[in-house]
Amino acid sequence: MPVGPFGIDPAIWAPLRLVIAVLLAVGLVFNGALAQIYLERKIQAIIQDRLGPLHTGPWGLLQTFADAIKLLGKEDIRARLTDKWFFLAAPSIVFSPMLASYVVIPFAPSIVGADLNVGLLYLTTLGSMTVLGIVIAGWASNNKYSLIGGLRSAGQLISYEVPQILSLVTVVLVVGTLSMVGIAESQPGWQLNVLVLPLAFVTYFIAGLAETNRNPFDLPEAESELVAGFLTEYSGMRWAIFFLAEYGEVTVVSSIVATLWFGAWHGPFVEVFPLLGVLWFTLKTYFFVLVFMWIRATLPRLRIDQLMSLCWKILIPLTLTNLMVTAVLLLVFPTTVVPVAIANWILLALFVMVLPYVQRRRLVALRERLRTAA
Amino acid sequence: MYDFIEPALFAVLTIATIASGAGVILANRITTSALLMAFTFLNVAGMFLLLGAETVAMFQVLIYVGAITVLILYGVMFTPQSPRPYGLFFQTQKWWAALFVVPIAIFVALVSFTFRDSATLAPKGGDLLPLATSVFRDFAFPFEVASVLLLAAMVGAIVLVKRDEE
Amino acid sequence: MAVPLGAFIAVSAVLFFIGTAGVLVRRNAVVILMSVELMLNATNLALVAFSRRYSSIDERGSVFVVFIFVVAAAEVAVGLAIVLSAYRNRPTVDVDEIRSMRG
Repeated sequence: MPVGPFGIDPAIWAPLRLVIAVLLAVGLVFNGALAQIYLERKIQAIIQDRLGPLHTGPWGLLQTFADAIKLLGKEDIRARLTDKWFFLAAPSIVFSPMLASYVVIPFAPSIVGADLNVGLLYLTTLGSMTVLGIVIAGWASNNKYSLIGGLRSAGQLISYEVPQILSLVTVVLVVGTLSMVGIAESQPGWQLNVLVLPLAFVTYFIAGLAETNRNPFDLPEAESELVAGFLTEYSGMRWAIFFLAEYGEVTVVSSIVATLWFGAWHGPFVEVFPLLGVLWFTLKTYFFVLVFMWIRATLPRLRIDQLMSLCWKILIPLTLTNLMVTAVLLLVFPTTVVPVAIANWILLALFVMVLPYVQRRRLVALRERLRTAA
Repeated sequence: MYDFIEPALFAVLTIATIASGAGVILANRITTSALLMAFTFLNVAGMFLLLGAETVAMFQVLIYVGAITVLILYGVMFTPQSPRPYGLFFQTQKWWAALFVVPIAIFVALVSFTFRDSATLAPKGGDLLPLATSVFRDFAFPFEVASVLLLAAMVGAIVLVKRDEE
Repeated sequence: MAVPLGAFIAVSAVLFFIGTAGVLVRRNAVVILMSVELMLNATNLALVAFSRRYSSIDERGSVFVVFIFVVAAAEVAVGLAIVLSAYRNRPTVDVDEIRSMRG
């Protein structure tokens, strides 16, 4: 008579485990979103030299709860729509893939939802399903600004999937497995992947900023552009679901960065207390979430053509070169990753030093052309 | 002990696939057809997962639901039609089509049940490693040709839709 | 109790013939493209089912399916470009009315 964990009959444990996992994932997403909304307002405030929420609760901690209660109580305004069912379905189509991404994220050595051996491909696939929801949201609102915002956002998301996938493939070439747990286990101690593949880290971070519609790539949903784009007609709790989806997606992208480049759960004393891995993983993930917010408070927004030319003319050739160089070096020196690391750091240094120079020359040429045309 | 799950999942996926496939061609509004087509793609991906081909299932969702459905939605958005009923039951050729299609479909479906081996108990690992070695080793040349095909399609689509600048 | 291979092939056949009926009957060009995609999906399902059951070393059916994905994506892109160009000339996508090349 096999005995499951905690002495429960395994016939009951399998569905019970499923229910507990789903509740944990939902709780994680909602609590994470609550924490992130508060953090975002406080951090933006401090960087902008003001104070942020102060009055509701000590240090404004209950501000998010107040916002949630307000959003729940808002009137559900629905203008005359192109299609009622599409309008109602769009927030769910954007939210569900983000929730499903938490299945493969490795929190600790044995705490992972399911160790798929195509875990990274699964995360990429879910990232591409949110495009459908945004197109539907933009089109169902019967509003030409929403339509343009939705199509622009879809174009941005589809374009930035390419550098994202190419950066992930570069890491997979070095590590040798697509499974998230395998990637996390391949970086014991201080052998972090960021020391081997820093350029892939930088390009994935930029592509991740664009994939989650965050500043400086948040043209489709910014309040001052196109009247908030595809979100215009959504009010109250529907808008809240879109924003939960965005903050959840930010957390997923930060978790992927923490797993692939920084050793997901590795840290001091993890071999002794495996559960301590959850703490290190959460700290690493939230460090990158804070970097996302820091970038949002600091950088101005890119225009749609600047955004697209950054992707197609700069990031894609860069990631393709990175992939080709890594693959060739791994074939020539199959036993060590030191040549790959050297090549990657050289490429990163070139990227950081050459890009401002090229952009400045292009700006000078543009000014010349405008001056002679005027 | 949970042996009933696999046939139950297969039954659910079959009903969903065939119902949404029928919905694509029967629906009155073209937007409903497009979304039901995306739902059919998801169900076929579920069947791939049931067969143990997880890489192909991920590719199916990534390419079909993520890209082709968006393309078809663009096509639907940019070609708005007057709201006449276009569904299947208003076409005059539906009886001829049914006459041709239904008997052959029933015949093929009945004949296909002669494959009695069980499909889902094939004792293999996932399909990632054999698929990858096949594509990049045995079929490397068709892979390169497929890349050229995609490039040609991309350039061709852009050229076709370009407006002539006067 | 496991699912017989014939069941997967039967589902694939029914889906294929649903797509065929769609191509034969519907007049909107975009719906015809959608039905062609249904037919391609049915083919993929049959190929993967046979490949998972009968191939012992490599997954040749799944390799074929990967190439079908590529060709289907290219075909939808070019097909929609053609439909949009035709729509621009006269504002209809009804294939019964786009017949200026007919003899």
